[in-house]
Amino acid sequence: MKSKLLLLIFICASLLNAQNKKVVHPNLSGVSCKTCHSCEVPTKENPCIKPCPRDKMISIDQSPEEGPEVLIIDKFKEQSDIYAPVAFTHRLHAEMSGMSGGCKMCHHYNPPGQVIGCSDCHELTRKRVDVSKPDLKGAYHRQCMDCHRSWSGKVECVSCHETIGTSKNKKKQPIGYKGKNRVHPKIITPDKIKFDTPKTSGRIVTFYHSEHNELFGLECQSCHSNESCVKCHNKNKSASLKVKTTEQKHAVCSNCHNTKLNCSSCHLDTAKPGFNHKVSTGFDNSKFHSKLLCARCHTEKGKFKGLNNECMNCHGKWTQENFNHKITGLVLDETHAAIECAECHLDKTFAKPVCNNCHDDISFPKNIPGKLTKKK
Amino acid sequence: MTNQSRREFLKTTALIGTAVTGLSSKTNGAQTNQLSEDRMGVLVDTTICIGCRKCEWACKTSHEMETAPLDSYDDRSVFNVKRRPDSKSLTVVNEYLNNETSSLPIDVKVQCMHCDNPACVSACIVGAFSKKENGAVIWDGDKCIGCRYCMIACPFQVPAFEFEVALKPDIKKCDFCFERTKIGKIPACTEICPVEAVTFGRREDLVKAAHHKIKNYPNRYINRVFGEHEVGGTSWIYLASKEFEELAFPKLGKDPAPGVSEAIQHGIFAYFVPPIALYALLGGVMWINKNKKIEQGEEN
Amino acid sequence: MEDMKPVPMNKKYFTPVVIGLAVLAVNGIIFLLARFAFGIGAVTNLDNQHPWGIWIGLDVAAGVALAAGGFTTAALGHIMHKDKYHAVIRPALLPAALGYTFVAVSVMIDLGRPYYIWHPLIMWNGSSVLFEVGICVMIYLTVLYIEFLPIVTERFIGRVKLPGILQRFNNPLDKFLRILDKGLEKTMFIFIIAGVVLSCLHQSSLGTLMVIAGPKMHPLWQTPILPLLFLMSAISVGFPMVIFESIITSRSFGLKPETPILSSLGSMVAPLLGVYLAFKIGDMVIRGTFVHLTTITAPSIMFTIELLFGVIIPLRMFMSRQVSKSPAGLLIASFLVIFGVFLNRLNNFLVAYTPPYEQQAYFPSFGEISVTVGFIALEILLFRLAVMIFPIVSVPGVSAQKTKYSVRGGIR
Repeated sequence: MKSKLLLLIFICASLLNAQNKKVVHPNLSGVSCKTCHSCEVPTKENPCIKPCPRDKMISIDQSPEEGPEVLIIDKFKEQSDIYAPVAFTHRLHAEMSGMSGGCKMCHHYNPPGQVIGCSDCHELTRKRVDVSKPDLKGAYHRQCMDCHRSWSGKVECVSCHETIGTSKNKKKQPIGYKGKNRVHPKIITPDKIKFDTPKTSGRIVTFYHSEHNELFGLECQSCHSNESCVKCHNKNKSASLKVKTTEQKHAVCSNCHNTKLNCSSCHLDTAKPGFNHKVSTGFDNSKFHSKLLCARCHTEKGKFKGLNNECMNCHGKWTQENFNHKITGLVLDETHAAIECAECHLDKTFAKPVCNNCHDDISFPKNIPGKLTKKK
Repeated sequence: MTNQSRREFLKTTALIGTAVTGLSSKTNGAQTNQLSEDRMGVLVDTTICIGCRKCEWACKTSHEMETAPLDSYDDRSVFNVKRRPDSKSLTVVNEYLNNETSSLPIDVKVQCMHCDNPACVSACIVGAFSKKENGAVIWDGDKCIGCRYCMIACPFQVPAFEFEVALKPDIKKCDFCFERTKIGKIPACTEICPVEAVTFGRREDLVKAAHHKIKNYPNRYINRVFGEHEVGGTSWIYLASKEFEELAFPKLGKDPAPGVSEAIQHGIFAYFVPPIALYALLGGVMWINKNKKIEQGEEN
Repeated sequence: MEDMKPVPMNKKYFTPVVIGLAVLAVNGIIFLLARFAFGIGAVTNLDNQHPWGIWIGLDVAAGVALAAGGFTTAALGHIMHKDKYHAVIRPALLPAALGYTFVAVSVMIDLGRPYYIWHPLIMWNGSSVLFEVGICVMIYLTVLYIEFLPIVTERFIGRVKLPGILQRFNNPLDKFLRILDKGLEKTMFIFIIAGVVLSCLHQSSLGTLMVIAGPKMHPLWQTPILPLLFLMSAISVGFPMVIFESIITSRSFGLKPETPILSSLGSMVAPLLGVYLAFKIGDMVIRGTFVHLTTITAPSIMFTIELLFGVIIPLRMFMSRQVSKSPAGLLIASFLVIFGVFLNRLNNFLVAYTPPYEQQAYFPSFGEISVTVGFIALEILLFRLAVMIFPIVSVPGVSAQKTKYSVRGGIR
């Protein structure tokens, strides 16, 4: 009897445990427990969490809107008699972190599933036994100063804090805090960049930034995933220019382009004109296909050549139901809807309709067809 | 010459011998310097320091030294020259250009390293310096005679002398905030540091933490903890992103700071045997020569 | 051999040279007063990079070395019992006593807190080289005074003539001097041996002093055998110092130099210098520091001058018979040895010392030089005064009335 009861308790406990795991870490996608826990079965009472900094960093990924708008950092009110607390515009910073690593920029070693604040790990008191990670004050300031001093070059406390005694700011808002809806100003992107490379032949590489994000539909993050503020905010530009290896220089392009072959496709002796689908391939996509993502037609990843430019290649199974004829300039009214496609489109490419079966011989689409000549 | 004087001679020699041996046992007793397992230290991470110089202000304030107002410390033009701790500031931060990896400069706080085997403690003529159980090397103003031998001995050029004071000049150096740590506080600089670039803790833990950091961020740090072994170990240890010698750290070996000086000294004065032996030898020579003279005189 | 007896010199004290020296002394004293009024920084060029200047490097380190004549002659005359050298013991003892007095004074003025100079007596640090040097110098200074006392008793026994009301103390004082003299006669050997032992200890430890500076000291000089080198150089400079002083004193008082004694003293210099040179070069070869001599820098130049002019050339001179027979040759050769040891101490304490964070090099200020020069001048003046008051310089053919008190210091 007793043993059965014990067994029951054990089963219940393990069930509860299994459930706990899901509750605490719902999106534990492939992350081993051992990354963060030192024991086999971590419990709520004894989570046996490995001390930070751990060997492997895992983090979470959320949209900025999921986080708090503004955080008042006033945990040190009792300790500090020099500087007032800071209101941290969390959402603004979260948005800005998009191009440089996202949440994990600050929320390092964060268990998956829930975002935990700095004070959950970092101790409030500086005099402590565990010196492997900074105390809370140090942790906050390290996160802030890491970027702030790099782009502003300033380390003055008063750039974020009010000095106590001189403070008129009752709400304890940070210096320069201009309300909730403040966003990072729109980043002005260049249209094209001409790289002057050290190559003897094919010195010039012309990069059309606008093409890549507008035409090819790349998100900022797809290339700018690890930028620091200094990329733009730097008073001392030349100092930030790194000496890169050839590989590092090509890294961002080689995500899509094969940079090992065909250097001359990018490296030219003169500036290269922008990409024009009609000039390069003979297929004018500017009329009907300009809004399409490349991958809609070029379905095989990385392969763009050899696509048949006949409409039927893609539009083989057009029916009136799946084709919005309006897009061609002719709304299929009741009359036209009743006609078979082949009545007007004599060839199979559907390139040009023939209207003079019924209308005056004015060709479509330059002019609308003339008077109806034939009645059905 | 009589036998009497010879006996007298031996008697006196023996007397001096015993007196001196008694003396020596006392001196030897004072030298034992057992390091505590729990001695404290500070880990300075130069890759974290932002050069705000709050530590300089806190140091002066807690030592009741004259200081400019806090906001004047934002002036970064002081970094144009490399400064050293002196009698008016016990710690200073210097800034070095970081040529390759990043545009951010490297800031290095300088103060007494609080050696585990301090040269100043070994050198001081009156024993005004002492290594405390908590790791601090402190100076006793009641003993100091102002000879400045500590300044000759220190491999880090830290002790500073009040050259401008006529009556009672002090030796000034970081005292690891001995008065603060005595009452359970942590050193003023480690308390104020906004980014905790200076971490106060058990030296053993700090060395461990430092090596953990190097292991985790091999690109951020060079694989060396300055002060772990230098001059036999120091209480203050440093991490950096480039070679310490490029950040104006002195190039030092692993031997304890007093070097061979103590070995020579203790060799010459090993239980006062060598001096007494020399004394006896010279006495013997004198005695023999004198007897020779007497014999010669008798023969004549 | 002529009968030589020490007598007080009977000459006019003031000469043009003496007046010149007095001016230098007064100048030094003025700067000395400024040092006590405004601090060390006001008078010297010392700073946190260069904690020690010429007051230690020259006045103390070189001063101690050049006062080595006292113990070397004492060892020769008393311990080795070479009676013929007794004539130079007193002329060597006086500068040693004077020299050490000024060493003590120089230490005091260089101390930040001179009024605490007694601290080492009760506050001991056995591992401190400076402590040992300090204690040894203090005791040795006392020993030197005790060794000098018989000269005082000899001068005043039977001649105590206090003026005025103090006349009644004449007899007791005379009695006291006689008792003192008797006591000293019996125990002097203790002090003589102690003097030699103490000298050996602190002359060598003066070298150990800079060992702790470690890498702050130029490798040409920084060596663990520094104490041995210091001891050997101090022993080598002892006799040249005596020869030099003796010849200068003789000339100054218009006496005939005691060339035979000085020559035989000089004959002992060459082996001593030779051993010193061998050790110095051997040390250089073993540590491979000669590579530093291939580049022309201030240390390499100073080292070469020190070795060439201070050791090698005088060594060659002392080995020559011609030189050791002529007073002029002896004077020059001795001067070169003195110069060599002087430069060696200067090099060890100042030239070799390179602070890790040096903002500007050290060069002594006018005030420092003034005080050092003033002290040297004062020393010479006091020396002249002392030989005129006390029986120190031996003069041939003086009728010896007070034989008992004429030759003093050895076990009789």
